[in-house]
Amino acid sequence: MIADLNESELKIATKLIFDGLSMAKSSMEQILQSPISIEKIDYVNADLDLDRFGGPNQDVHLIKTELMGELKGTSHLIFSEKEVSKLYEACLPEKVAKDESKESTIMKLGFLTEIDNMVSAAVITEFSNFLDVEIYGNVPSLKVLKVTELNDFIVKESTEFESIIHFKAVFHGKELDICPDFIWVFHNKFVDKIKNLV
Amino acid sequence: MRVLIVDDSTYIRSSLRSLLEEQGYDVVGEAKNGEMAIDLTMELNPDVITLDNILPDMTGLDVLKTINTDDFNASVIMISAVGQQSAIVDAMSNGAKHYLVKPFDNSELIAILKELDEDT
Repeated sequence: MIADLNESELKIATKLIFDGLSMAKSSMEQILQSPISIEKIDYVNADLDLDRFGGPNQDVHLIKTELMGELKGTSHLIFSEKEVSKLYEACLPEKVAKDESKESTIMKLGFLTEIDNMVSAAVITEFSNFLDVEIYGNVPSLKVLKVTELNDFIVKESTEFESIIHFKAVFHGKELDICPDFIWVFHNKFVDKIKNLV
Repeated sequence: MRVLIVDDSTYIRSSLRSLLEEQGYDVVGEAKNGEMAIDLTMELNPDVITLDNILPDMTGLDVLKTINTDDFNASVIMISAVGQQSAIVDAMSNGAKHYLVKPFDNSELIAILKELDEDT
């Protein structure tokens, strides 16, 4: 766990995570063509603020990217139903955003997975270059869950790894009025890699 | 110039097609996986291939190694979210002409295509 790191190792880990998330923020700004800030980074508590999703029966869109290669892990980018609608309206052509046909629906979902693909890859690139490890993100997958299922889903994902570290960021897009959560779960080998650097 | 687009994302394929057709390029095909990319390259013999690096059945690098033979003279532009130096070096040393890291400005891709057009 991240608590296994001493002070200097922790400094390196937090800087690396911050740098990775900063790259992700920049990618998100470029994709959405709108300013994004990192509102919060949490290295300890992965629980989500469920109140922001607007009620237990609301849908949430969770896009998951599995890490492949020398380090195992997963990333989850999570948008509320309202945020998804706002993104479609702001970023897609009107005829696609308002159309409910199968073709437009595929386009919309593809847009969401592509956001995750690029945002996750920004973190992966930073980690890969810094830790000198061969890692890449697999093709992202999208799940639509109820708010009440969300925390259980993340916990279940985390338990797939025997020993984990996680961190969570909350992004904020003021113009778009969105606050997506971005959660990373890593196998503890990440900690070993950090220790090897010191 | 005749262009083949290879990307598993419908959204990206559609966006690239719109962009390229607006600029007057002839998009001759779209492939959503590596096998399809290889088949369409053989069938269509495009001038340019935009090639994603992470595909469901193989990597873009695998596709590049397969099609990078004397029988095909397509210029390959890798377009991928994978931005590690090692991935870029691997792609370029296996015959890719350019490597664009997503997200990128559309003008960058158009500039590359113009450059390739002038070279031919």
